[in-house]
Order: sequence, then C-alpha cells, then structure tokens
Amino acid sequence: MADHESHQVLSGVRVLDLSRWVAGEYATKLFADFGADVVKVEKPGEGSLTRRWGPFPDDVPDPERSALFLHLNTNKRSVALDLTDQADRELLLGLVRDAHAVVESFRPGHLERLGLGPDVLRALNQRLVVTRISAFGQTGPRRDHEASGLVLQAAGGPMHATGQAHRAPLRKPGLLEHYTVGRSAGQATLAAVLGARRTGRGATIDVSGQEVLLAGADRRASYLLSASYSGITAPRGARSPHRHGATFTGPFRAADGFVMVYVTNQAFWNRFVHLVGAEDQTFRERFLDRQTVAGQDREDFLAHVADWILARPKVEVMEAAEAARIPVTAYLSVSEVLAHPHFRERGAFVAAEHPRAGRLEYAGPPWRMERGYRLRATAPLLDQHGAHVRREAARQTARETEEATA
Amino acid sequence: MSTADLPLSGIRVIDLTVVWSGPGATALLGDLGAEVIRVEGNDRLSRQVSSKVTKASFEKTGYHGGTYPEKDPGERPYDRSALFNWHARNKLSASMNLDTPEGHRAFLDLVRVSDVLVENNSNGVLEKLGIGHERLLEVNPRLVVVRMPPLGMTGRMSDYLGYGPNFNSLVGIAAMDGYEGEDPDSAGENYHMDEAAPAGVGFAVLAALWDREETGGGGLVEFAQAENVMAEVGELFLDHQLNHRDPPVLGNADPWVVQDVVPVAGEDRWVAVTVRDDRDWRGLHTVPDLGSDPRLPGPDAGDDVRRSRSAEICAALAEWCADQEAEDVVEALQRAGVPAAEVVSEPQLLDDEHLAARGWWRERSHPAIGTHRYPGHPWRSDDLDLAFGRPVPGFGEDNEHVYLTVLGWSREEYDDLVARGLVTDHQLA
Repeated sequence: MADHESHQVLSGVRVLDLSRWVAGEYATKLFADFGADVVKVEKPGEGSLTRRWGPFPDDVPDPERSALFLHLNTNKRSVALDLTDQADRELLLGLVRDAHAVVESFRPGHLERLGLGPDVLRALNQRLVVTRISAFGQTGPRRDHEASGLVLQAAGGPMHATGQAHRAPLRKPGLLEHYTVGRSAGQATLAAVLGARRTGRGATIDVSGQEVLLAGADRRASYLLSASYSGITAPRGARSPHRHGATFTGPFRAADGFVMVYVTNQAFWNRFVHLVGAEDQTFRERFLDRQTVAGQDREDFLAHVADWILARPKVEVMEAAEAARIPVTAYLSVSEVLAHPHFRERGAFVAAEHPRAGRLEYAGPPWRMERGYRLRATAPLLDQHGAHVRREAARQTARETEEATA
Repeated sequence: MSTADLPLSGIRVIDLTVVWSGPGATALLGDLGAEVIRVEGNDRLSRQVSSKVTKASFEKTGYHGGTYPEKDPGERPYDRSALFNWHARNKLSASMNLDTPEGHRAFLDLVRVSDVLVENNSNGVLEKLGIGHERLLEVNPRLVVVRMPPLGMTGRMSDYLGYGPNFNSLVGIAAMDGYEGEDPDSAGENYHMDEAAPAGVGFAVLAALWDREETGGGGLVEFAQAENVMAEVGELFLDHQLNHRDPPVLGNADPWVVQDVVPVAGEDRWVAVTVRDDRDWRGLHTVPDLGSDPRLPGPDAGDDVRRSRSAEICAALAEWCADQEAEDVVEALQRAGVPAAEVVSEPQLLDDEHLAARGWWRERSHPAIGTHRYPGHPWRSDDLDLAFGRPVPGFGEDNEHVYLTVLGWSREEYDDLVARGLVTDHQLA
C-alpha cells in the first residue's frame, strides 16, 4: 500500500545528471520531480556551477544554500566523482550500465576527451539515451562558440523584435532561456527513453540551445517563417505586429504598479469602452463599435484610458476588467505571486525542510496528473549519497563482469 | 530508422488547440511520429485567419501581410499564414463541427480510437459541447487528456481571460522585464508563457504514456500554463523568502556578470557580450585594441570589482564595437573565449552558414502555398529521424482519410455530410 501510494509516473526510471548549469539541471529536475531516480554526478569539492551562482541568504556564497541549486535539484541524489580519475570513471560506467539516460552539458568534445563519449557509454548499455546540451550544437562552424544566456537569446531568440524601436534589443529577464532549453532537453530525453522501451535501442540527442529558441512559440518560429515566406523582418517596438482591427494592447501605469491590457477584438473593445467610459457618455458614443482609432482619436483614447487606470490600484483595475470579461491583468511581483490566494489555494508552492537552508516553499507542480509531481526530498548536499551510490555502481559493474565471464 | 520506429509511432493525437502554446505542443508530438489530427470547425476560426482576408484588407498593417507567401493571402488564406503554418508540420486536418449532432458523434468515434487529446480552450468550452474530460475518459479510459487552462481549472482566477503577456504579468515575469533601472512597462510585450508550454506538454504526454504502459489507463493532465512557467523563476521565490526582496528590472544586465548589448556598424545592428568569470575577463584583455583600454580594471580584477565597474567596462566595449562590423566583433571576442553573438534578424538566419551546415531549415512544398523553407526541429538525433513530412494540412485536406479510414464511416454517410455542408474542404468563417 505504501509502495502504491509512493509510486509516481516515472518511478523506476534512472537518470545520470552530469550537467552543471541550469538547462541540464532543469531537464533532470523534471524527471526527478515526477518520480525518477536522478543521480547528480558532481565535481569533488566544488560541485555544480549552480551551487556557486546566487542568490544566497544575505548574499553570502555558500554551495549548500544557493537558491538556484536548491530549486533545480529537488528529489535528486548527489555523488562526487572526479571524471579525470580512472577509478571514478569506472564507477560512473557502473552507473551507466543501469541507467535509462545520461544528461550532459559540457562543451562539445569534452566527454570524448574524458573517454566517456556516447559511443563508449552506449556500448555498455544499448538502451541508453545520451542527451547532450550545448549552445550551438555538437556540429557546425559555431559549435565551439562560447555563450551566455544573453548571447543565446541574441543568436536564437526573438530579441531583435523585443524592446523598443530606436533602443537596444531587450532580452527576456532572469534565466528563462536556460529553462526553455532545459525543458526541451527533458522532453527529448523522455521521448528517446520511451522509444528505447519500444525498440530496445537508445539514442544520442543533440540539443542546440540556439535551435531550441529558434523553434520557439514566443513568436520566433512564426517570425522566421514569415521571413521565409515574404522576406519581412518583425519590427521592434511595434506592439502586436501579428494583429489588426480593433486592437489595443500594452502596459499601463496604475496607482500602485502596472497592468497589461490586451484588447484584441471588437467584443473586448466595446466592453473596454463601457468600462473606462462608464461615467462619460460622450466618450462611449465616440468610441463604441470603432474598428480602428488613429491620429487625434487615438491620442484622446489613450489619454482617457491612461488616466482611468492611473487613478486605480492595479488589482482593482484587473478585477473590474476581468469581471467585465476583458483581458487585463496586474503586474504581480514575485512576492505577490507567492502570497496570492489563487496560487496558495491551488497548492502551487510546496514547503520542505533543508538541513542547511531551513524551511522554504518551493515552486510546486508544473502540471497536475495522477501519480505526478511530488517533493520527496530537498536538494542534496554535495556527495550526500556518495557512499550509497558508489556501492550501487560497484555492484552493477561486478554483476556485469560476472555475467560476461560466466 | 524509419518513421514507423519513432517513439510515438502508432499513437493518435486529437488536436483541439488554437493560437500558440497548444499547437506548438502538438507539433512536438507529430515530430515523434504520432498521427496528429486537427479537428477544425468550418464555421469558426481555428487558424487565427479568416477566409475573408484579402491583400487589400491589411494594407494598413504592414507586418501582418508579410506573414503570407509573397504577402498574398490568396484564395485560401487559412492555408497560407505563418501564424498557423509554423507549427503545422506533419499534422492532419479534418473538418468537424462539434456543435452539431453529426460532428459530436464523429468526434466521440475519434476519441474511441485515439490515445491523446490536447486542448487549450478557455475553461468550460468543452463542457458546453458535452465533451469535458470526464465524458471523454468514460468513452475511452485509455485516453490521455491534456487541458491547458492558463491559470488552472480551479481557483479564484481560473476564469480570467488573457493572452501570453497577461499571464506573464501574473507570475512575476513582467514585473522584472524592462530596460535597466526603468519601469517594467518599458519592456513592451513578451510572449514567454507561450514558449514555455509546448515542451512541458510534450514531457507530460510522454510521462502519461510511459505510465499507461504500466497501468493500462489514461487520465487527465491539468496543465496550468502559468504554473508551468513559474518554475522558471523558482530561484526568485526562494530568494524572496531568504532575503525579503523582489527582483529589480535589469534590462540586458545581470546581477552576477558583466554584460550588455551594444551597437555596431550598420543600421540597427547589435552585438551581445557577456563576461561570465575570471577566464572570460582575462580573455577580454587579450582582444586587440580593447584589452588595452585604460577604463578596464586589470586582468586580475575579481568579479566584485568587475561588477562595480560594469558601466565603465560596457562603455569601453561599446566604443570599441561602434565602428566595427558585427562579424568582426564576434570573431575577435570568440577568439579570446568571450561569449558574443550578433542579435540576428530573420533574414540573417535564413542565410546563416552554421544553420545551413546543420541542415536546420527544411524546404517543403504544398499546392496551396508553393515551395518554401520552414523552421526546423528544436532538437535532433542521428538515431531518431524526427518526422517532417507535409508542411501544412490544407483545411479539411484529410477529411476522407479521417472519416472513412480512421472512423470507418461508410462512403454514403460521408457523402451525406459533405452534401449538407457539415464537412467541407474549405473554411467558411
């Protein structure tokens, strides 16, 4: 019964995480949070790069209290292995024999130089999936180019079209591009693991961060196809270049923050005119049923809307608009999201105690399904599971050797 | 490896998605060999494009026209728009009006012989049509039903209307987006929530199918798109609890490294540069004419010093870049091991030699559209020949296949639906 209750969709799947940065760690977090046994192989003494990246409590670096590491490595086990050491490499190969997938994000060619290339790993386990994450892919003239998140967005994202006209292109904030690449790497890995279950054959997967972003639904892929169809370039600073007709979209300042207005059709337009012109019959008569507003009309309309929104708190604006069935939402800060009753009532955050970082609430299930997400364990301390994992690896190697000589 | 060996070969997917995030998700399932059938009513817009669009009707909106081949919507605009066609590879299209008894019956027949259904309509739309997930799972308990309400199926905001930028604003992303030191409204719009969903839905469907191998049963996946994207600011939720602060608006800057986007020679040409660590910093010092700039702290300066003097470093960088060609800037920085890339426009990517060497673009033809290059897959494998067949299903192009072969309806029944205009090979709306 206890076993049945603890069973998750990916229980029984084993993944080795050799990655050291956000994309790889997010890819394997998806596996771990949905039940897989993910073993994080870390550099002795130093650990993952995400342990060195902040934010930290009081901004004091501490490899066991990096918020980034704590978030990305829930439900994983940690073993410290020196991949330049022969004995540790043998232990890794022992783990590979029993794994469904290995996820790595070293620079292209590094794994081969360690003698751990996909051919070596897959020779030990023909069902193995080896997922390789890099900035520009494992082949091609730019494969050895260095990249950061910003550089990746420049090369792959819709950045040329984001920000304002006549100003610098503007990236998306935070580490979003790394997460995007990682989610795709996770999807690719699970696809190949499922394929291996059906065919008995594993795969080597080449995830180029640039290509993940180029294929993106944040308009990048549609902008690219538009260019291919007609030679056009999506303009920067023009709101909603994809739409026409009665559209009125963009951010506005409220009394205590901002709201995003997204009026995209005639029905929304008319409701919006009724809302902001509730006490102004002339305004309503002037703007109801209009298909487009331009010139002085547009200036007057904008000024009226801006004043109306500025006079009210952002959540009040949102609630009034949404009650009238108009897409207008408040800009919530991270702390407001964390405290919002909608997300709290849904259980979007899950609390757990970490031996060094204490009790914290973590972003919870990215989606809900039976036997889905669970926070079984907080992120591991460096080499926390070292002794146990090493024993498992040695046992696996011994078994294989026995079988081979039997 | 043939298409028959792909991870989702033999899996049938009903695609009831519209707009961006949902269709992006089903495209990924088709890549893996699934038969993805778009169910489209002929009396409503399922492709964001009206049959009444003409070349004249968007004269005032320059960009929109450019989403059509040669800027011409032609006779069948709904087959020719990049807004739809970017995600349409491998998909099938069947005309089916779910609000008619005939369409309802056909749909439930399709549910009986399918494995997965994905929909991203507003909460309640399927229920009104009598095809909520409870009903679907009753008809076919092996079905995996993915519903993608932006804020979930329950909760006080679950009925809120909105688009990608609206929901970005509700999960903390918009409030940190904008030019450094300015208000967040300086960013304009960002569509990240749409980008985040497809691979997440892909993973969820694969996980549910993996589980089905064990349990034999399908079930509901409630994919709240806002919560999916909240994972991407997960470290900031922790930061708030640890340090009681909210993330500032940082523009192209970053709290931990020195970076910027600077103009180079030419019209609207920009290069992004990042100095991540000590190694990059020492590399920057070896770049001819830049490393010697007196404004730069020395090659041994630590990251604290670099960050505190970020403005001077970026000013030196900008000056060095200003009169150089983008490719020379990138080449010089990359030779020194410093991350750099041009902020590329779409036409540049069409001619990009790296993407060409990797065969990323795919040239495909369709009678309603002609021959064009299409964006490639998000990832690749020499061991899995991801599907990239027909680039687009013309509206209703697969009606006969779906009704006669998949559903097994008789030719008479099918002809009757066609005669009554319930099934058409063109969109009426």
